[in-house]
Order: sequence, then structure tokens, then C-alpha cells
Amino acid sequence: LVDKNLIGLSVLGEQFLQIFLGNSVWEVSHKQPAALIMFSELSAQKEGSSLLCRPASEDQVAVFERVSPAYSPCSECYGVGERSFSRQYAHIYAARLMQMRPLLTERAQHKWGSDVLIRKLCDLQTGEQCCIVGTLFKRMELQPSILKEISEEHNLLPQPARVKYISENDELILEDELQRIKLEGKIDRDKCVTGSVIAIYGAETNDGKFTVEDFCTASLPLQTARPTLASDKFVLLASGLGLGSTHADSMLGLQLLIDMVTGQLGDQGEQRGAATISRVLLAGNLLSQSTQDKDASTKPKYLTKKTQAGSVEAMRLLDELLLQLVTSVPVDVMPGQYDPTNYTLPQQPLHRCMFPLSSVYPTMQRASNPYQANIDGVRFLGTSGQNVSDIQRYSSMNSHLEILEETLRLRHLAPTAPDTLGCYPFYQKDPFILEECPHVYFSGNAPCFDSKLIKGPAGQEVLLVTIPEFSSTQTACLVNLRTLECEPVSFSAFSNEEDEESEMNISH
Amino acid sequence: MDELYLDNIDEYVNDHNKIVTYKWLSLTLGVHVNTAKQMLYHYLDHKRKESGAQLHATYLVSGKFVDNGQTSHKVSVVREEQLEDFKSKMNLVVSVHVYSVQKALLKDSGPLYSVDYDAVRENLKTCSRYSAIRCPSAVPMSSLELQQVREQQQISTSHHENKKPTTNGDTSLTSKPSTKAPKGIMGMFSNKPAQKNHDGSAEVKADPPVVDAPKSKPAAKANPMMNFFGNQTTKKPDKPVKEEEPIPPASTKQQQHSSSKTAEKQEAAAVESPKDVKADSRSKTKRIQDSDSEEERMEKKKRRRIKRPEPDSSDEDVIPDSPQQTDTRQASKSPEKEAESAARPQQDCTGGKVRKRRRVLKSRTFVDDEGCIVTEKGYESESYSEAEDDVQTSKQTPKAPTPPKVSNKEEEKKSQKKSNASKGTKQASIMGFFQKK
Repeated sequence: LVDKNLIGLSVLGEQFLQIFLGNSVWEVSHKQPAALIMFSELSAQKEGSSLLCRPASEDQVAVFERVSPAYSPCSECYGVGERSFSRQYAHIYAARLMQMRPLLTERAQHKWGSDVLIRKLCDLQTGEQCCIVGTLFKRMELQPSILKEISEEHNLLPQPARVKYISENDELILEDELQRIKLEGKIDRDKCVTGSVIAIYGAETNDGKFTVEDFCTASLPLQTARPTLASDKFVLLASGLGLGSTHADSMLGLQLLIDMVTGQLGDQGEQRGAATISRVLLAGNLLSQSTQDKDASTKPKYLTKKTQAGSVEAMRLLDELLLQLVTSVPVDVMPGQYDPTNYTLPQQPLHRCMFPLSSVYPTMQRASNPYQANIDGVRFLGTSGQNVSDIQRYSSMNSHLEILEETLRLRHLAPTAPDTLGCYPFYQKDPFILEECPHVYFSGNAPCFDSKLIKGPAGQEVLLVTIPEFSSTQTACLVNLRTLECEPVSFSAFSNEEDEESEMNISH
Repeated sequence: MDELYLDNIDEYVNDHNKIVTYKWLSLTLGVHVNTAKQMLYHYLDHKRKESGAQLHATYLVSGKFVDNGQTSHKVSVVREEQLEDFKSKMNLVVSVHVYSVQKALLKDSGPLYSVDYDAVRENLKTCSRYSAIRCPSAVPMSSLELQQVREQQQISTSHHENKKPTTNGDTSLTSKPSTKAPKGIMGMFSNKPAQKNHDGSAEVKADPPVVDAPKSKPAAKANPMMNFFGNQTTKKPDKPVKEEEPIPPASTKQQQHSSSKTAEKQEAAAVESPKDVKADSRSKTKRIQDSDSEEERMEKKKRRRIKRPEPDSSDEDVIPDSPQQTDTRQASKSPEKEAESAARPQQDCTGGKVRKRRRVLKSRTFVDDEGCIVTEKGYESESYSEAEDDVQTSKQTPKAPTPPKVSNKEEEKKSQKKSNASKGTKQASIMGFFQKK
């Protein structure tokens, strides 16, 4: 509705629109107002006796019932039916541009007036102010290339492992169906990534480059309204459990997390609070990277005959931990980069045979990555973080939250797939284009917790959450389905400080 | 409440020198977790008053914690001497209780985990029994329910397959692994013939028990070899009947597939028991073939192609990996399609739709009016843009032995525009086209 009004308004003046749409997504508020109830406060409402007393009569024992929200998974679009890998990847880009072109044309008309000249590259005339919709391509010197490696094999200097692959010599190019053109001007080259479909406004110069004056992205898709909930319900998000790693000191933290969710630890208030956690979502990297044995494929078979893959033991442990959870709360298990499923996005659910204990419970849901589901009318969408960390490597953006927001603006979950991010060769449809705006948009395995509530041009309200890696931060997060607030939950044990101290002593 | 538990805890802590956590105590004594916490507190209090014995305790503290402007809910296990300090750092203390009691001073919280771990492992199935939260929906499914759920999943995936032109992938998710994975899928393997035989009777999952049994077996892990034999014998009676039907061109694909030596099989058809053995060995070889290299599979396909009703030999270049299984399944799940095609079983049918310079070998299996299973194969291609269309036709004409391909394509385009559900009608129109011949 707002969009339609804006078409009418466009006659009123471009400046107004610039204000309204140029910066169409803005931050509302990061800090939670004091009036909102947080999980701790909710749980702190005391009742009954303290646990620091002698046990009273048996009948006093409190048992709370787990809230069970309406749940419907909507990840069908991330299923891969046929697995044919003989196709070329060009089709994804073709499909992506075809799907995104009408959206961007509309956005461009909003932004630069309905009479803006929208050209294809082949019809481009030098000096003419126009708008072009196309896919960005960033030519990067430092981008690892297998061809380069082969051609330079003879006197190859090993490339140092890099955190970022951007450099001064990168070139930004816009492609449409037939042609490409180099871009310059008001577009942040380092921030852009290959594969994003955008609309640019400007003119071609005499030397065949395009001077960009302005550009726009597809922005947030439309959102279905969120129902108002009567009570506070939470969804716990965690990622990066990192089981099977060589240093297992994080295990107590994980056990505390499980005990909190399942209502073992804490006072009655805490347990009552925990009963309002209606779902647990584990966003990938359940197993540690160290369970992946890179040598396994190169080692001769007779040497590895009797050795067990590191992931086997870790998987068994995961199954036991999950069993404790699923006997008490519904759990969604997403695979991540290091988990034993396919590597390319979309990652298919982990096979049920890996969970002999927990998979007999109906509360155990093996989900795909990306994940999409409606929990009590609140739409969750997110990944285990591969898309975000890949963009981090190939752009100047560093904050996972910023990148997450950027992908939402681009209306694309993983623009760098298939260029630098593994992806199934889709050819009819690009499933990573966002069709409906989620209410909670998350990515897993971030270095730290961060969250932000943003508003879109059509009144969309989206909570962005970067779920921290649990094994390194001992932190998970709770999303309040009623208020769309998000707060971290952290766990600690006293070993941490002690260890640091002892390490200090050794070093002296 | 009697205070026997004090003696119990004392025994664990002092005599056994154990670390007694509330969780371990709750599982060992079979009491509610909150009661266990109170017991530990009572014991600690009691002991200290009594003798001032050397006992160390750890506490669990949770509450609101503000760190760097970020408010969080923090759950910590702390040693007794840190307790007050820790509580003062919290903005709001939600819960405090005894976490564990032990004789020695714990340097590190690691042992707390391992103590609980052993207890939890022993009581895995009932680990939430004494917790304060009950989840009504978390009831383990019986093996029967599990079967049903898996069956539903199977059906839903195959439904997905049926609608394949609208989605990205176009062959089955389930059939591929079954051909690839060589081991541990005895059930799956014997499952395949079962389904195909049901196709023959044009039943859409009319008797689930047979289809189910093999599926549940890998999970149950009950003597896979026996299952294998059992399934084979149950299936056997179906097979010879079909083979003896005297229409040679309408040979089942799966018959060709499972037995390249049809003649030998027919000879032996009279005797039942040696046949079983043979069936066994035959399918073993088949399994090996399946797990073998791509080339061998190609070879098999070629062999199959010889038996095909309408040979067009020029289409060997692009062959999708395993279209047969899917399509058989597809056919079995859409009886109305079968009915349509049953009228004219021997045509070379082209089906499916692809965009942009793409040709796909399609094969469909269905039952004709004489009760024979017929497999049809054919290429199909189409494109959206005009330019590509031209390229395609020029490319196409030498390969496909069907001259008026262009009109065919136009028809398809039209039907494609019409609706999503155009698949049936589209195929009917193609059939019409072939009937002219």
C-alpha cells in the first residue's frame, strides 16, 4: 500500500523520494527500552520457596508445561530434487536477473521517477542519462582461481591465506543478458559483491565506461503481518556447537545450556521462564572443523581401514545431547559448513540415521540450510552463516550484522553463490531470492552476538540476528516472539579465569 | 520427609569421594531436580553445623548481567567463595542454588561435566523425567508411527517429483541414492522391484505393508541378509507371471534391468527353489553394476535401448543419470496419466520441459490395456527466447527423427503459458502428434 502511495507521490518531487527511499532501511533502535521485559526479568518473578533451604514435602514440586507454538516449516524451496551436477552455472545468473529485473525496474521508477529511461546495455548511447538493471561482477586480482594455480604451477609461490580478497585493483562490472560494462563513479566498489542484481543510474562516457550517479537495490520484499501474541514466548537460537573439537572445555557450557532449556537448573522462576522457550534452533556447525579429516581422501585405503572418522564420535555425542533436548523441547537442526551433509548450498537436512536416539522423537526436526519456518506466525529465515562469511571475505564489510542487512536489501540470501560460495547448479529458478520478508532474519556462526530491528519502506519489521558461535563465545540467544526482541544468553564456569591465570603464571 | 538422604549423600561424598551434583543426585535417587538441590543445601548446612567438615560446594547463579552495554542472561557455575562477589556483579539475580558438593577443592569445572555425563548416559531415555518442564509433544514414536512418518515423507518427496517441471530439480531424490549406495541398503534394494511390480497392477501404494517392510529394516538392523531373502521370495511369484506374458516389445524396464539374461530366466521359470538362488545371484551382480562406474551404466542403458520399441539411435550424447527410476515412480503415482497414455502404448513420447538450449531424455513407464508394462523414451527440448529457439531447431533436426518438431514446440509453449497443471494436457497433445505417424 505504501508503495502505491509512493508512485503517486513521485510527482511531488524527487527530493522527497530521496529521503523516503534513498535510505529506505533504517535502524530503529538497538537498545532495548526499559519497559520491555527481558527473559531474566520474566524469570525473576519469584514465587514459591527458595532452593537454598531444606526440602519440604514432596507435593511441592513444581512442573511446568512447555508452551507449544504453531509451527510450519516452509523450506521446500531449499530441497534439491534431482542432483545433476553436469549443468553450467550460467543459468543461475540468467534466472536471477530475469526474476529480479521487474522488481528492480519498479524500484528504479520509484527512486528516479516513473519516466526514467531504462536501457539494456546493447541499446546504450554515449552520454545519455539512463538506468540499467544488471548483475554486478567484481574482477578481483586476489580471488583464488584454480586456473591460475595450474598455469603457474611451475614456479608457484604459495599464496598466503587471506582474510580478505579485495584489493585496490578490483574492477566493478555490470552485466545484463548480453553485454557488460565497467563501472565507475558513485558506487562503493569494495562494498559490492559479485552476483548482486542492482539498478544503476548514470551515463556512459566516451571511453566506454559507465559513470554511476546513483544506484538502488531491490530492497525488502513484502511482509505478511505478524499476529499479536498474548504471552511471551521465546525461540532459542544457537550455532557452532563445535562438538568433537580437540579442546573439550566448552562442554560444561553446552550442558548448562541444555539444562537451562530442559528445566533442570535454576529456581522455579527460571524454570517457568524456560518453559516459555517454545523451540530451539541449532544453526549449523554442530560438529567442529577438526572432525573433518582433510587427509582422508589422499591417504591410501589400507592405512585408513580401521580408523574411524572423527565425525563418528562427535555425531554420537551430538545425538545424546539432542536426545536430552528433544525429550523436552522441539528442536530444529540445521547443517552447517562442517557438518556431514552436502557442502553446496542449499544444504540438505542431516540424515536421520545419524541420530538413532533422537530421531524417534517427533520433536526432532532435521532442517535444511537455509532454513525457513513459521513459528506462531513469526517467519524465521536464515542460514548457518556461510553466505555472510563469504561476503565478508570478498567485500570491505566486516560486521556480520551489516552484511546480513545488506543481503536483505539486495533481496538475495547468497549473492556470491555460485561465484565464490558453493551452490547447486539451479537453472530454472534462483531459490535464494527472497520472496517474502521474514520477521526474524538470522545467520549463524558469527564471531559475536548482535541484533537489530530494522524497518522497511513498506512497513516491514525485521529482526536481524547474528547467532554467535557457541563453542567460542558460550553464548546463545533468545528471540521473544511477541516483541521481536532478542537477547543473548551466556554460560560460564569458573575454569575460564583459572586457566587464564595459570597460563599467565606459566608465561612469567 | 525422612532425612535418610543425608546419610546417602554423606556416603557418596565422604566414602566414595564423589562429586555430587544436583543432577546426578536427582538421577541416582530418583527425585525431582529442585528437591535434589534442596537436599544438597540441607546436607551442606547440616554437615557444617555438625562438624565443620572440609566440604567444598559450587553454586549456580543466573541473572541479568550487563557487559559493555549489552544486557544478557547469564548462567554461571561458581565456587562458593566467589558466590557473593558474583551475585553483586549481577544486575538482577534470578536463581541461586547448590550445584555440587565435593570433598576436594575443584580447580576447574571440567569434572562437573564428566560426572553428569556418565549419569546422563546411563539414563538417556529418562533424562528429563525429573526436570521441572514437561513437554507433552515429546513422546517417542513407536516403530509403527515412525514407519508412517517416513512413508509420508517418501510420498511427499515423490509428490514433489511429480510436480517436477515447476521446481528446479527434475529427477528423484530418493532413487539416486538407492542406485549409488552399494551397501547397507538391502531393504531399499529389495524395495525397488516391489514398487515396480505394483506399478504393474496400477496400484498407488495399495498395500503399504509390503512396501514398508523393507524400509523399516535398515533402522531395525535385524538380520539384513534374511530380509533380503525374505523379500525376494515374496516378490518372486509376481515376476514369472509377467514374463510369461507373450508380448515381447512391451518388456518391462526393470526386467531388462535386473536380468540381462531373460532367456535363461524363462527356462528356469518352472522351478521355484533354484530360481530363488538365481534371483539372489542375479541381483547381486546387479548391485555391483549399480555401484560401478559411469561407463558401465551407460552400457546398460545401451543394452536397454536395443529393446526399445522405437529405436532412434542418434540420441546417445546427453543422457541424464537415472531418469528411469523416477519416471517409473512418477507413473505409478499418477494413474490418470497412465490412463491417458494407455490408449497408445507404443509411441515415443516426449515429456518434461526445460529452458534454454537443453535437451532431456525422458522415459515413462506405464501399463497398457493388456497389462504389460511399457517404457517409452524420447527427447524433448524447448526454449523461451526466439533466438535460441532457432539455434535449437537447427541443432535438433538431424538428431531427432521427428521432422515436425517445431510445431511440437509451439504447442508446448502454449500449454506452458496456460497453467501450472498443464503437464497432463501437454503430454496428451504430444501423444496426438505422434499418433499421426
